[in-house]
Amino acid sequence: MSLKSERRGIHVDQSELLCKKGCGYYGNPAWQGFCSKCWREEYHKARQKQIQDDWELAERLQREEEEAYASSQSTQGAQSLTFSKFEEKKSNEKTRKVTTVKKFFSASSRTGAKKEIHEAKAPSPSINRQVSIETDRASKEFIEFLKTCHKSGQEIYKQCKMFLEAMHHKRELSIEEQSECAQDFYQNVAEKLQTRSKVSPEKVEKAMDQIEKYIMTRLYKYVFCPETTDDEKKDLVVQKRIRALHWVTPQMLCVPVNEEIPEVSDMVVKAITDIIEMDSKRVPRDKLACITQCSKHIFNAIKITKNEPASADDFLPTLIYIVLKGNPPRLQSNIQYITRFCNPSRLMTGEDGYYFTNLCCAVAFIEKLDAQSLNLSQEDFDRYMSGQTSPKKQESENWSSDVCLGVKQMYKNLDLLSQLNERQERIVSEAKKLEKDLIDWTDGITKEVQDIVEKYPLEIKPKNQPLAAIDSENVENDKLPPPLQPQVYAG
Amino acid sequence: MSGQRVDVKVVMLGKEYVGKTSLVERYVHNRFLVGPYQNTIGAAFVAKVMSVGGRTVTLGIWDTAGSERYEAMSRIYYRGARAAIVCYDLTDSSSFQRAKFWVTELQNFEENCRIYLCGTKSDLLEEDRKKRGIDFHDVQDYADEIKAELFETSSKTGQSVDELFQKVAEDYVQLMAFQVMTEDEGVDLSQKNSTYFYSCCHH
Repeated sequence: MSLKSERRGIHVDQSELLCKKGCGYYGNPAWQGFCSKCWREEYHKARQKQIQDDWELAERLQREEEEAYASSQSTQGAQSLTFSKFEEKKSNEKTRKVTTVKKFFSASSRTGAKKEIHEAKAPSPSINRQVSIETDRASKEFIEFLKTCHKSGQEIYKQCKMFLEAMHHKRELSIEEQSECAQDFYQNVAEKLQTRSKVSPEKVEKAMDQIEKYIMTRLYKYVFCPETTDDEKKDLVVQKRIRALHWVTPQMLCVPVNEEIPEVSDMVVKAITDIIEMDSKRVPRDKLACITQCSKHIFNAIKITKNEPASADDFLPTLIYIVLKGNPPRLQSNIQYITRFCNPSRLMTGEDGYYFTNLCCAVAFIEKLDAQSLNLSQEDFDRYMSGQTSPKKQESENWSSDVCLGVKQMYKNLDLLSQLNERQERIVSEAKKLEKDLIDWTDGITKEVQDIVEKYPLEIKPKNQPLAAIDSENVENDKLPPPLQPQVYAG
Repeated sequence: MSGQRVDVKVVMLGKEYVGKTSLVERYVHNRFLVGPYQNTIGAAFVAKVMSVGGRTVTLGIWDTAGSERYEAMSRIYYRGARAAIVCYDLTDSSSFQRAKFWVTELQNFEENCRIYLCGTKSDLLEEDRKKRGIDFHDVQDYADEIKAELFETSSKTGQSVDELFQKVAEDYVQLMAFQVMTEDEGVDLSQKNSTYFYSCCHH
């Protein structure tokens, strides 16, 4: 029977059915010809080896990355010590790069290196996810918006896609050229909308805002503070400069803001928060909105202090003061980024443009600031800059800002009291001194008078007769015989 | 407010205390110094919509800080301005000297900016003719020489204030009409530019 069936069916050798390892059991093609038991053994061995290899590779890559990072750090080291923020950002980017290398590799290995990778990855996914969420949201909003534009919406979308594609290829170009492309793009789209699709100017403006938001959320990563420029260096210079100018008081800048008033100091704090927040936005227009918000708070602060609306003469010094006080991160990068990639019509004429211009002006002023612009003498300015002395600050600044107002006031009063006390003591001692001086003076005078009296004893001279003047030089006068008296002779 | 479209950038230049802010205040809110101020928080930037021959034009009026310590930065302000109102105090000849400084700057760096000379505080002269610090004819000659319009205004009485800004808007509209007439070629150029721009991104 068996022979028959063999002849009739597919010819399979008996040995082929058995386990490859020759243990006597039947094998199975699904187990690569092994029997179940031998397959388990064999597979386990191979897996162990694979894991081992993966481990080694992972370790090697890690080492290389670390070395590269260490060397890049040591070159920046000196500068970046004081700028932990930048450093953080840098290192964040670094870890992100590291993990992308590992991600590749973790796809092939399944278990071994996984744990370690997870550890290294921990900080970055949140960033990545956040960014992509933001990008996604921007795209969704954009598409929603385009739906309202009907026919022109499709055209806009196509143009944007083409532009983004083009920009992708232009990453190697200098940032000025990229900026020019973006500006050309804005202008072309706006023109097309206006002339071809006959959209009203207001709507064009709205569309342009959306387009800017959409493309700039995508491009931000590549064109904000790019490595090809010295933006970052300039950031550091400005930051250092502002730090060196920590001693500048509102009085020196003629800032018409009185921070003693709680509402005003509130406004100042809000303004500072706004200007610092600018760095966290990605779309130029959102950054501009932060500046405008900051400016509005400044205007409010001035209005409360002066009780009249602020003019530019009040506003600019206050903005300078806010920038000095807030020291916003990556100031130059932000300004450059906005200048390069903001929709020009907004930047040049509108209200946002006005405040942005003022900010540029404030930064320029801070960069050039010298003794003359603060009405100080050159010596004072140099001394303050070198940190040898600092101008007398307002008392309130000596207390950290989180102390409550009452306590601040109390400290202030105590301070005043102790000053008063000191002054009183000084007055008393001065008074005593004065008393002593007076006594000494009387004594002195008495003594002097006595001396003089002794020196020149009182002599009462006979009164000189004016008639004797003629012969006053005649000393022998009294030796003369008495003048003849008339005598009466009885005759 | 901040999203408002603006057609023309008009920049106010002039020494401190010549009355730039008062001039803007007078024009936009029709008031002088005393008065309820609750509506505005600042007069540094104002957008004013006005109509010229049936067309609406929005003037964006930029106030600038006149103090000498910011002189070096003034170039940042007037970049891209279509009109500059250079103010001087009619009773203060030194303010006119400073006005001349800005005129020179504008001529050198902002060719497309039209200049409007504006003598302020003319009401003071009504009170006392002798207060005039600078001769009218001298200024008129100077204005002709630099091809500028000349106005003598009073923010207190409102004299010539509306006329000044109306003229600014009219000049802009005229200029635009003129440009549209002659711009056909310009549009063509930019079209070519854009095709070039897109063709190069495909390779």
